[in-house]
Parts: sequence; structure tokens; C-alpha cells
Amino acid sequence: MKAPFREHRFIFLILLLISLFIISILSLYIGSPAVRYPFSSVAGIVLSRIPLVGRLLPEYPDTPVNIVINVRMPRMLMGLITGCALAVSGVTMQGVFRNPLASPYILGVSAGGALGASVGIILGLGLFIIPALAFAVAITTTLIVFALGRINGRTDVPTLLLAGIAVGGFLGAITSYLKFIARETLQDIVFWTMGSLHGALWEQIYIVLPITIIVIVITMLFTRELNVLQAGEESAAHLGVDVERTKLILLSLSSMLAAVVVAFTGIIGFVGLIIPHITRILTGPDHRWLVPTSAVMGGIFLVSCDILVRLSGNIPVGVITGLFGAPFFLYLLLKSRGDTGW
Amino acid sequence: MVELKVNRLETGYSAEPVLKEIDMTVAEGDFVGVIGPNGCGKSTLLRAITGVLPAWNGEVSLGGRRIHQMSRTDISKIISVVPQRTQISFPFTVREVVEMGRTPYLGRFEAPDGDHADIVSTSMERVGVKNLQDRTVRELSGGEYQRMLIARALAQEPDLLLMDEATSHLDIGHRIEVMDLIKRLNREENLTVISIHHDLDLAARYCEEIVLMDGGRIRAYGEPMDVLTPPHLRAVYGIEAEVRRNRRDGTLYIVPIGDEENISPRDMGVHVICGGGTGTGVMKRLVNEGYRVSAGVLNAMDTDLETAGFLDVRSIVEAPFSPISESKMAESLEIIDEMDAVVMTPFPIGPGNLKNLELALCCAEKGKRVFVMDGEPMEERDHTGGEGTKLYRRILDHQCVRSVRNDRELFYILDELCGK
Repeated sequence: MKAPFREHRFIFLILLLISLFIISILSLYIGSPAVRYPFSSVAGIVLSRIPLVGRLLPEYPDTPVNIVINVRMPRMLMGLITGCALAVSGVTMQGVFRNPLASPYILGVSAGGALGASVGIILGLGLFIIPALAFAVAITTTLIVFALGRINGRTDVPTLLLAGIAVGGFLGAITSYLKFIARETLQDIVFWTMGSLHGALWEQIYIVLPITIIVIVITMLFTRELNVLQAGEESAAHLGVDVERTKLILLSLSSMLAAVVVAFTGIIGFVGLIIPHITRILTGPDHRWLVPTSAVMGGIFLVSCDILVRLSGNIPVGVITGLFGAPFFLYLLLKSRGDTGW
Repeated sequence: MVELKVNRLETGYSAEPVLKEIDMTVAEGDFVGVIGPNGCGKSTLLRAITGVLPAWNGEVSLGGRRIHQMSRTDISKIISVVPQRTQISFPFTVREVVEMGRTPYLGRFEAPDGDHADIVSTSMERVGVKNLQDRTVRELSGGEYQRMLIARALAQEPDLLLMDEATSHLDIGHRIEVMDLIKRLNREENLTVISIHHDLDLAARYCEEIVLMDGGRIRAYGEPMDVLTPPHLRAVYGIEAEVRRNRRDGTLYIVPIGDEENISPRDMGVHVICGGGTGTGVMKRLVNEGYRVSAGVLNAMDTDLETAGFLDVRSIVEAPFSPISESKMAESLEIIDEMDAVVMTPFPIGPGNLKNLELALCCAEKGKRVFVMDGEPMEERDHTGGEGTKLYRRILDHQCVRSVRNDRELFYILDELCGK
């Protein structure tokens, strides 16, 4: 199976953007099954937020406005941003490592984040302190892994990969021990490690959104280098790429991206690993298209999964991503008859 | 004018230097081959030249600029590298891969269109992969893949092309095709080429100058005939080899020969009556197994004579294209007297070498042990109108003559005779 949308990548991307828009609106409309407003009111509430247009619309009661604007919208946006961020981070990691098993969590972001969050939860720290701690430990872990993967002044990819696994395993053991002694807070830790978009706040969006946009834009600037890296590091150097600098920039950016969303949403698995593969199967290996298309795919996927989370009575989102993402991925995998691009 | 200068270069990967005291100068338009045994530092030299590997001591300069102070972009506008078969991890199309060659020229926001697209197309045309441009790299044969990598290197518009055993995974047809192409670019466009070779014949055939490396140092540097010498090959590769000149184009080629010390001499002499290449195998094996060997009568241009010469086999030689004379026959008989057996190979028989059959007949009549080897049927190799066949039959009539089917049977019997 040759990538079916390879020749029509632009149209495919436009269609995806339209789908993303529709699904985002649906997400605002559906919310939780217990509280349902007519579609017209939801649309009206959203539109009334737009300057000028807002004046033409009637005043809506406070409760629905509050729910749509301050509960559903940040949650939907958090899902969208997290999906984009994890997908782009995954594409970058797989591209730099040239390894299909690479994911945003490969350099210890998830293990570090989980440890930080567990400590925060056990100590009963506040709403913003826990993400801050998760972020700090995640980034520290990544830096340690980076330092371990550095040999003779260059970043050695296989060493980095294995160092990530080793450090992740070590921190995972500590986290397990914390769970063991956590008692009444155990459930909170478990929920955190399964990921959740519940309770997202605008304040969080103000932090996550700009970082995500900036990192994705910078990553887009390096897509040619990412392509050339696929010829091998030495060949890439001979083709004029400053390989060490590129690796360092891309890996730091994508770890940063993963860490910042993990801090607020916990470890949502699968998105960063599978979305890049699905996109590659559908549109081919060119990172100039792969990065933006994966971003949109990731957004669609996670917002859709979160709709199912609410419809199903708050099953953790990590369960849903695996439950629905895995069969779809397997379908594509089998249909591509091994020609997944690897 | 881009001149590559390597000056007292020392470099390596960890504690021990891999390259020591490397000095070389490559001028524009040169075609330089780098040869040497595995682990001698050939590829390391290439990495040092491209600046991928930093220099510990000494320096590499390109047109007067120190390479380690140049940016990767600047270097890759001047030097491009054709690697050994590398695995490109994703199914990019041929065109996308060749476009990668434009990387050093493209601004961050620039797309590879306009002039860039033209250069990419021209590069593909020059190596004949334009028609493959929409195929993915997985759908290419080894030769096509390698030509694509050359197109990518050409798209960099280099002044200096480095090849790292770029043809070693190709079959002989594609190897020659690729090397001919590089040679043409070297001649017609004054492209400087430095190529690493494992295949000494290929290096000798295409390179004007050869660098022979050994243990991280340059052992010899110069024209092929000065570098590819038996003493150098012995010292560096540990092989005994003959260096010969190809009659067609005058290029050198290497013929490795067995380790002479392992041959235990036998107390038995064998004379070989052969011609037209039919005696080559037998003579080689006789020499390698330690028999005393002589041959003749052979015409001066015969390939068997070439083998005999190279094996140091004593031969009776007749002038080229002349029928065998009585005197040469007599000379042969004299030698055969000192030998214990005669082997007659299935050579084609014409009026010129009919005397060789008479020679065999004489031996048979004298009661010498004669082995007649089977080959093509007589009707096919007798070009004398039956006279040869008659003589052949008369030879076989003798008691002391034995017909053998092949080398194996011959050497089995010879072995037994030696044992007794």
C-alpha cells in the first residue's frame, strides 16, 4: 500500500482541519450527558464571546455560559493542544531516533512527570504546584538522560535511547514504591498516570498554548533537517546539516513539549506513539507534511477520545486512546502489509 | 580552484589515534584512489577530510580555508560524499532524496523549486535515474540506488566528490557503469574525485593516483604503477601477487598467487602439451602441488604461455602464428626425457600445432607415461581434415597411454604414482 494521500497531502490536511473544527464544536456541545444544552445555545454562547458579533446575540443565563466557556472550552482546548503536542513530539522523536518505538516519553518525561506528580499528590500540594513539580522532575529527568547519552561531545542515539529506558525504569520503581505507601491518595496517583483532561482551566491553557505553538513552529522550521537525518547522521552532515545542533534542538524542544502537557494532563499514552505512524502510513515520510498533519490528527484523536470519555461516564482517557487507537492502528498496519514506512 | 591539503593530520575516535602524520595534496581535477586493508583508516581519513571528525593535530584545508573552521553548509557546497549503501529509513521518492542534495543551498523558508528543481533534474539525468524519480527508494535495485546517491551528491554541485566504497555492493556491470560515469565527470567537468576502494583492480583502472594506507599512515602515494607493486602488496596486505598490465587499455591488475612456502616439492616431473588456454588449470595445479612442470610447444601469443610464464614453468616457445618447427619439437623431446610423465590437454588442433600430436606420439612410442585428457569430441576440435584425429587414435593405441576424463582423475593417478 503506497501512502494513499501522498499525492493529495494539501487537500488531506485541509479536510483534517475541517474535521478538527467540527469535532471541537461537537465536544463543546456534548459535554457530560447529565448537562445538555441545545446546540443553538452552545453555538450562541461561543459566538457571543467574539467581539462585535456578540452584541447581536441575546444574553444567555450565567450557568450555561459558565459551563460552556469555563468548563467545556478549556477541556476541549486542552485535549486539542495535548493531542497536537504529543503527536508532534512523537514525530520528532521517531525522526531523530529513526526508531519506530520512539515516543514523546522515550527520554524519561513520563517517568519523571509521574514521580513529580506522585510526590506532589502524597504531600497534598496545590492545584498548580503538582503540575509544576511534575514538569520540573520531567525536565530534570530528560536532562539527566541527555547527559548520559553524550559521548565524546556528541549525542549518541542508541546510548540515549537505552539511558532513557534505564532512568525511566529507575524512576518507575520509585513511583511504584510511592504508590505502595500512598494509601488514601493511591487512587489520585493512578488516575494521574492514566491521564485526564478533566478540570482543565483557562489559566493552564494560557501556559500550554503559547509553548505548544512556539515549539511546533520551531519544529516546522527544522523539517528539512529531519528529512535529511533519515539518510543517516553522517550523510546528513555531508549534506550540510549541523547534526549535533539539530538533534539537540529538536530533542530538547519535543521533550519540553511533552513535559508541559504531561504536567497538566498526566500520562496520556498512545497518542505520541501511534499518531505519527498513522499519519506516515497515510501521507508518506516527508516531515514538511508529517509534522503539521500529525499535529491535526493528534488534536482530532484526543478531542474525539475525550468525547467518548464523557459519554462513557469518565473512563480515563488513556484507556480510551488505547481501546480505540490500537485497533485502528492495527487495521492500517495490516492493510499496509508491512510497508509502514520503516 | 579548490585544492585539498592535508597537513600532518592526526585524529581518531577515543584514546588511540587512528590516523597518524597524514600528508596529502589533491589538486583540482585529480582522481585519487585510497586503498588499504580493513581498519587501516581509509574511512576515517574520509571523515577527517569532510570535517565530520575533528583533527587532533595538524589540519585539513580546502582552497586555503581550514575545514574545521568552516560551517557544514559551506563544506557541503564544496565536498559531497557518496556513501556505501546506506539505509534511508523511510520510503522517500528518488526525487526527494536527490533534492536533499540542495540542502546547503536552501534558505530555511525556501522550497526546492525553480533553479533548484532544474539542478535536481539535471543531476538525475546525468546518472540516468530521471525516469525513476517518482519511485520510492525501496523499489530500486542496488545499482539504481547507488546512482541515486550519486545524483544526490551531484545536486550539491561539488568541486570535490568523495566516494566511500561506493560501488562495493554492486555487481560488476553496475560497478563499471558507475565508475565510468564518475570518470567521465572527472574528465569532462574537472570534478576532483577521491575514492576509497577495496577492489585494487578497480582503483588501478580508474585512479590516476593512489594512496596506499596501512596502520593509519600513508604507505605509498603516487601513480598506480609505483604504488601497486608486489613488495607493497606483500607488506600491506600480506599477499604474494603479480601486478600485470591489461593488454587492452594498459591499466594494471593484480593476480594473487598462492603462498609458495606451503608447497612441498615432489619428486616427479610432468610435461604439459597444451595450447589455447586448455593447459592453464592443469599447469597451475601441478605447480601448486609441487610437481616439476614443463610445457610446449607453445606459440608466443598463447594464453597458456602467459600462465606458464607466470608460474615459472619452463616452456618451449615457437614464434607467433608459425607452425611448430622440427627444431622446437626436438627441444621439447629433450626436456620430456627428464620428465616422468606427459599430459596432453584437449586443445584444438590445426595445421600449426599438428606437430604437438606428433610430439605426444613420439613420447608414447618411447614408452613414456602419457595422459590424454578428454575434452570436446575430436570432430569439433580437429581443424586439419581428419589428420589430427588419425594421429590422436594412434596415440591412444599405445599401452603406456591412458585417457583421463578430467583433472580429478588425472591428479588421483599422479598422486598414486608419487606414493609408489
